[in-house]
Amino acid sequence: MIETFLAQASTYAKDIDNLFTLIAVLVGFWLLVAEGIFFYFIFRFRARDGQKAEYITGEEKHQKRWINIPHVLVLLCDVAIIIAAVRVWVDVKQTLPPAEETIRVIGQQWAWTFMLPGADGKLDTPDDIVTVDELHIEVGRSYQFELQAKDVLHSFSVPVFRLKQDAIPGRTILGWFKPILTGVYDIQCAEICGIGHGIMGARVHIEDAEQHALWLSSHQPVQYAAAQP
Amino acid sequence: MTVRLARAFGGAFAAVVWLATAGGCTGPTEGPARGAAVYATCQPCHGADGEGNRVVEAPPIAALPGWYIEAQLRKFREGARGDHPADSAGLKMRAMARTLSSETDLMAMVGYVSSMPATKPVAVLTEGDAARGKTLFAVCAACHGLDGAGNEALKAPPIRAAADWYLVAQIQKFRAGIRGADPLDLTGQQMAPMAKTLPDEQAVYDVVAHIVTLAR
Repeated sequence: MIETFLAQASTYAKDIDNLFTLIAVLVGFWLLVAEGIFFYFIFRFRARDGQKAEYITGEEKHQKRWINIPHVLVLLCDVAIIIAAVRVWVDVKQTLPPAEETIRVIGQQWAWTFMLPGADGKLDTPDDIVTVDELHIEVGRSYQFELQAKDVLHSFSVPVFRLKQDAIPGRTILGWFKPILTGVYDIQCAEICGIGHGIMGARVHIEDAEQHALWLSSHQPVQYAAAQP
Repeated sequence: MTVRLARAFGGAFAAVVWLATAGGCTGPTEGPARGAAVYATCQPCHGADGEGNRVVEAPPIAALPGWYIEAQLRKFREGARGDHPADSAGLKMRAMARTLSSETDLMAMVGYVSSMPATKPVAVLTEGDAARGKTLFAVCAACHGLDGAGNEALKAPPIRAAADWYLVAQIQKFRAGIRGADPLDLTGQQMAPMAKTLPDEQAVYDVVAHIVTLAR
């Protein structure tokens, strides 16, 4: 259902959407049931001429079951949500599949810098390709990313990947994704990072192997490390 | 009951319309008033009086010539300046310049900033030798003038009232290829080789120490 509005462009996007749907269905069901009973009672026990209001302590067995039965059922739903959430969390955040390529993502006020390893497959070498606000990757390829922040907190958010990871100055945070759709999609910062936070956007270009090879060959490496002021 | 509901919804709708119009959807559309309104975006970094703020790498901009402000804003917007990964201050300014979506706003901003009273930045660097810098400044004087007042015909901005920390940072960027390397930045491409004529890092501080004395 969510994919109708936002493409599922990573291998784990569907798992996260399924988790969202599970939570929405279970929580939505209990919301409707609770509100339905609430409004029914308001109507059923509305003010009537000659009838005095009664204070109910809720200690009678037939009264307590209105709390106890839903309570147990809601707890069962909670357990189902927790099990599903932990499974997704372990797959997405606790597991780091072998990388076919490792890239570096650097957040700073108010731009994203992306470092690709170049032909040698290693970062911090002279053939690194560095781009600003533009990430070019290949569909079907498994990527690990090293996420860094230069100045303040940022959050690397790629909605079509269902990926959102905080970037913290002084730390390198590892993560991964494997794109499964070609196209151009949004990248955004999801952590308030100053007056330009709202315009700290970038684009991810997911290309097939041929397009990506063409882009790589047309892009000059930038001596990023050597160019530090 | 129906009448009450209609009144409640009507009141809520009127409140929303009022908030939308009073909350910033209207305002001056051109001229100095528009410039002042647009400058609100710049103020957090460059200061209310355009005095700059070294902590956030924002230079003093008050009273800079309009032609220079316009040229730099256009460069930032088009990616000719401030799009190098190592240019942290430039990347900030690049993003903010792109919020100037209309020509009217850009020119209103230019007019407003250039009409601000000039500020006099306090020198904060002590590493430079102004006497040695005076000799080195001969190269700079060809375009920026002996008094550092700039030369519009050569697109050389005034530098004598610039903050010393900003001048050092810019010369270092020109020397490192962080600024003035973009093919779209024609004047930057002129400045970069000039900055590289300075023999070493100490020379950068020396020449800036001399430039600071021109403002006195």
